[in-house]
Order: sequence, then structure tokens, then C-alpha cells
Amino acid sequence: MRGITRRRAGFVAAIGAATLVLTACAGNDAGGGEAAAPELKLSDEPVTLSFTWWGNDTRHAATEEIIAAFEAEYPNITIEPQYTDWAGYWDKLSTSVAAGDIPDIIQMDEKQLSTYAANGVLADLGELSSILSTEDFPEAVLGTGALDGTQYGVPVGINSYTIIANKDLLDQYGVDLPDDETWTWDDFVATAEEVATASGGAIVGTQSWGFEDGGLNNWLRQHGESLYDGAEVAASEETLAGWWEFLLEATEAGATPDPAATIERESGGLAESFTATNASAFGPWWSNQVQALRDASGQDLVALRVPSTADGSAYYKPSMFWSASAKTEHQAEVATFLDFLANSEEAADLLLAERGVPANEKIREYITPKLDEVNQTVVEFLDGLAPEVGDAPPATPPGGGAIETIIDQHTQKVLFGELTPEQAATSFIEELQRALDDAAI
Amino acid sequence: MSALGELRSLKGAAAPKQRKQNKAAFLFLLPWFVGLALITVGPMVASFALSFTRYNLLSPPRFNGVENYIRMLEDERLHKALVVTFQYVLVSVPLQLGLALVLALVLDRGLRGLALYRSAFYLPSLLGASVAIAILWRQLFGVDGLINIALGWFGIEGQGWISNPETALGTLMILNVWTFGAPMVIFLAGLRQIPVMYYEAASVDGANRMQQFRHITLPMLTPIIFFNLILQLIGAFQSFTQAFVVSGGTGGPVDSTLFYTLYLYQQGFANLNMGYASAMAWLLLVIIAALTAINFWASKYWVFYDDQD
Repeated sequence: MRGITRRRAGFVAAIGAATLVLTACAGNDAGGGEAAAPELKLSDEPVTLSFTWWGNDTRHAATEEIIAAFEAEYPNITIEPQYTDWAGYWDKLSTSVAAGDIPDIIQMDEKQLSTYAANGVLADLGELSSILSTEDFPEAVLGTGALDGTQYGVPVGINSYTIIANKDLLDQYGVDLPDDETWTWDDFVATAEEVATASGGAIVGTQSWGFEDGGLNNWLRQHGESLYDGAEVAASEETLAGWWEFLLEATEAGATPDPAATIERESGGLAESFTATNASAFGPWWSNQVQALRDASGQDLVALRVPSTADGSAYYKPSMFWSASAKTEHQAEVATFLDFLANSEEAADLLLAERGVPANEKIREYITPKLDEVNQTVVEFLDGLAPEVGDAPPATPPGGGAIETIIDQHTQKVLFGELTPEQAATSFIEELQRALDDAAI
Repeated sequence: MSALGELRSLKGAAAPKQRKQNKAAFLFLLPWFVGLALITVGPMVASFALSFTRYNLLSPPRFNGVENYIRMLEDERLHKALVVTFQYVLVSVPLQLGLALVLALVLDRGLRGLALYRSAFYLPSLLGASVAIAILWRQLFGVDGLINIALGWFGIEGQGWISNPETALGTLMILNVWTFGAPMVIFLAGLRQIPVMYYEAASVDGANRMQQFRHITLPMLTPIIFFNLILQLIGAFQSFTQAFVVSGGTGGPVDSTLFYTLYLYQQGFANLNMGYASAMAWLLLVIIAALTAINFWASKYWVFYDDQD
């Protein structure tokens, strides 16, 4: 690998581009390169790359097939899969990094991207651009994987926060599907309450919210705020308190289940959720979860716009990114595999929309007719949202991954009356800011 | 002779023949000592060093003095975790030992099929800290769980025991009490060691069963009780899996099952504050060591060694 780069550097020098030689040499130290990317060349020797991702069984099976297809095309490259579920993923990844054993290819999440990038774990993908192309990605979406102008992740799929409605349950209890282009938060709670009452308590109106940051981001945007500004928590106490206040009101009105039931379902994951078990008419989810939810529920689930999105508060969130280790010894092979994942029709055929509707526009067009009905409606939903979509919220700063625990813990305290929404807001900002400060380099 | 009594007599030994035997014993223990040094002592020393640093796992640690220790003073969640853990230990360990002792006494009366009962009761001790059992616990104590179904037969309306902050910790205490098999087996062995002649002499003197228990069994068993107490106390302070699985890793609802080790894990792996987590581990070590020391000191007043001279 090193020898090849030298040979190549000599070739570039021969054509007289002295500056390019310098950058090519710089490109030899991991993470040091900028400007023009070095020309990468595949090794003649067999190469083994480690590839880590989180997911469920469906994803594991699809990804293994992609690996097999890739290895068939590049017999010299072996991909060693390391997969787990979401909960264990970050423990394992951080420990591997601490042990100096970073996987070559890493599936990354928006909440962790900046943390890993700031600590020098992730490669500057610009250096791989001679093999890894990103030209079919819309600028705005690609930008979500860049920090201070350096590309650390290629967005895989796009998502939007939605309200999932169970049409079968609505029909059963004689409630009309609300018009999601005009509905307000009050309409949402009123409809949920109507279903709950009509069912005589057999089902709940809507699942509670407040256990992850998607709903909060949406709410903040509707109030002209964002969660972060640089490495500072920018959300105001009033708006945060209003969010929890609204949840409390919905709970008191009987639109959402009682706190204990919510907590029990919450710790059981997607499969035990109200939505997946047809025990709720509505539920807030990410659009790429529709498939898994429908598989579990077997009923007609549709994605609706979050209430009051007409004001541009909706946004596309990358479901995840492809990143590479800054310490990899096989840049060319890593780039080749990333390119296969991000740009090839073969990979798309196998993956379909499992990691979200592809962020790569060409691939998205190619794959849409091949998707099943459910995922086609998700694509339609995301396309229909386009006029209402604003810029992605400011990137999560290093340390922001801690929000998962913090948000969950505060919502629980509000639901069980241990903190008022105002107290929760103050404490939430304090704890989140502390997590950001802890992570500051 | 009791296990602890044996240890004591070993200490006094010094004859040359015995020294030779000791050498052999140490040789046999060597693999274990190597393991202890590499797997336990090494990481402990490292964690002590890390407790004076800021370490996020991704970048090398940076020295920050006693900042982590000062932070523990004002960390409200840490204080909550201490309260939860102490409640758990102080309630479940005595109950567990009490149950173990009662069942050991019952089994010791020469039941038919003793081996079978002993195995059956011991089984939960092997399984108690496992993920499978924690999942089973979720099923048992859930809103639609077996407990509520059983209560329903008596017309009692149940609740979500693991999702209610008032009862969640209680379900974990029951789980710990349920793993009484290990101390029970040790109690059984202890009961077998009490010389029959004491009971014979007592019955000649007209002592009834209760008096025999009070004046022979209990005093003769105190070293075993002490041994079990220390062991279970240390084990209970380090409980992790049960709370992790039952609460989905959150320590919820509302931090009511936030075991100390669970919070330590959250700090280390979710918040990437490994330096702080290391400091927390050392605080736990100090707490356990202090409690153990107090117990050893207090044992002078209630533990009876038959072979004392």
C-alpha cells in the first residue's frame, strides 16, 4: 500500500505537478490531507476489512448479502462483519476505539458523528474521493455528514419525523383519518382522545412522546428554536417546559396512556410498543420505522405529517452515515466498499429502503419502483413533504449522544410528577450542557 | 470445624513439613494468582490512575486532579444511586439469608429426596444474575404478566410492578431473595458440622427443639452466617444485570432502580466519562471495604468460634 502510493507520487511528479506531490505525501498520514485528494490504488494482495453496523435481523441478513455480492466482484477483498443491536453498539465501538482496534468501516449516527470526528477516530472522506463519489447526493443532505467543511460521513438514508396512524383501528372505532396537511397539535390530541374513548379503553389514543430527540427537535423548530448552537444548548426553558406541559395535558385528557404503561412499553423497544402491538391509534416515529412496525403489527399503518408542519419545521434527518476509520491501512479498499454501499445498484437492490429511503438521488429513483407498497408510500410521503422541509437542525455537538438518557429520564420525572415541566426544563438544559462541556476537547 | 475456623488454624501452622505442603499449595494456586494479577489487579490499578483523569475512551486520558472526586459530592444522581443501592442491599440481603437459613433447617431434618430439593433450590442462584431471568422477571411483573393474572383470580386488580417507581425496586429485591440457594447450601454444610453430641447432651438436660436451636444451632452457625453475610453483601452492592435488563438500561422508572453500578455504566459508556466512572468504582470499593471492615469488627461480639482457645 505504502509502496504503491510512493510509486504513484513519482508518477505525479513526472507530469510536473509539484503541489500535487505534496498533497499526495500528506495524504499518506492518516487524516492529514486536504485540497486535492490522492489517487488511491487497490492492493494486489488480499485485504480484509472490518465493517460494523447496528440493526435488526432484517438488516443483518440484507447487509450480509451485500457483502457477499461485493466479495464476488472483488475477490481480493474480504469484509468481516461485526453487527449488534443499537443498545450494545456504542459500548462496543467506544471500547474498540480505546483498544486501538477501530473497525475500517463504521455505520455512524448523527448524535455520535461529531464526538467521534472530534476525537480523530473518523477519516476525512474527501481523501477517498478518487474512488468514493458523492456527486449524486443533494448538497444539503451531504452537508449533514460534514463538520467544519470536512466530510466524515456519507448519508445513507433520509428520514422524517412522523405520526404513524393505524387506519384499521381508526376504521374499527369509526374515527376519520385526520387531514395531516392542516391539523394542529390540539386536533391531534383531540382525535387521539376520541379513539381512546370510542374503544372504551381497549386501546390508547396515541403513544406518549418525549423519549428521544426527534420530537423535541420538531417542537423546537416550530417555536423558532433549535436544540443546539455550536457547543451550547440553545433551547429555551419556556419552550422545553411547554413541550412537557403539552404531554401532561394529553395524558390528563386521556389521549396518551398512563405513565406506568408508557414506561413499561418504552423499555421493551419497538416490538413491544403500542403501535407494533396494535394497542394505539397513533404514535410518533421516524419514517424508516414504518416497515418494521408494519411487519410487527400486520395492520394498515400510514405515516402522517407531524401537526403544524406547514411552517417549514419539518426536516430530513439522515438515518445514519457511512464512515471510515482514520487509522485504516487500506484506504483504497475502504473507499471501494463505501462506494459500493453508497452508489451501486447491486447494493440498493439488496438493501431497498431498509436503512431509510436512499439519500443518493440516483439510487432513490432507481429503487423506488422496486419497493413494496409500504415503502413507496414512505417515499411519497417524504417527497410530498419537500415543499415544507427546512434546513437540517444544527449538528449535534460532541457529547450530545448523552441526550438519550437525559431526555428519557426527564420525561419520566415529568410523567410521574416528580418534576414540574419548568423544573424539568431547567434541569434538562443543565445536564445536557454539562455533557457537552465534558466532551469539549 | 467450620471453614473459617480451619482458616484460622492454618495461619498458626509453621512446622517444616507443613511449610513444604504450603509450597505445593501455592504452586497449585499460581494459575489463579496470575489470573488475579492480570485480570483483576492490573485493571484496578489502571482504573485508579484513570480516576484522576478526563477520559472519553476515544482520545488518550488527560490528568484533571481530584476533579472527579469533587464532582461526586454534588452529583445528585449519584446520591440517588447510593440511596437505591443501600435500600436494595439492606432489605434484600437479610431477607435472602433468613430464607436460606430456614430452608436449610427444614432440609437438614432428613427429608426424603434431599439432593433433589437442594438442587432445585440452588438453581436460581446459578440463574439469578442472568439476562434470561431478568427478562422472565419483566414478563412476570409486567402489566399483563403472570403475577397480575394470578391476582386477577382473586379479583385483585394488578398494576405494572416494574414500571411503577414505588414497586420497581421491590421486584428486584424479590429477585435477589429468590437466589437464596447458594447461601442455603453453605448453611446446610454448616449444619452438618455441628457435633451431634451437643444435641444429645441438651436433650438429656431436657432442652426442647427451640432451646436447642437458640443455644446450640445458632451459636455454632454464626461463623457461617457471618461468611454468607459478607459474601452476599458484596455481591448485592455489585448487582447490575437485573436492573439493566428490567429497566432497559435506564435505571427507571424515575431512577427508582438506578443501581450504583448501572449509573457507573451510564457515565462510562453512554456519556463517555470513563474517568468519572473510574472514580465512582473506587468510591464503591471504599464503601464495600468499609462495610466489610465494620462487619469484621462487629463479628467479635456475635460470631462464636468453637475452636477458640
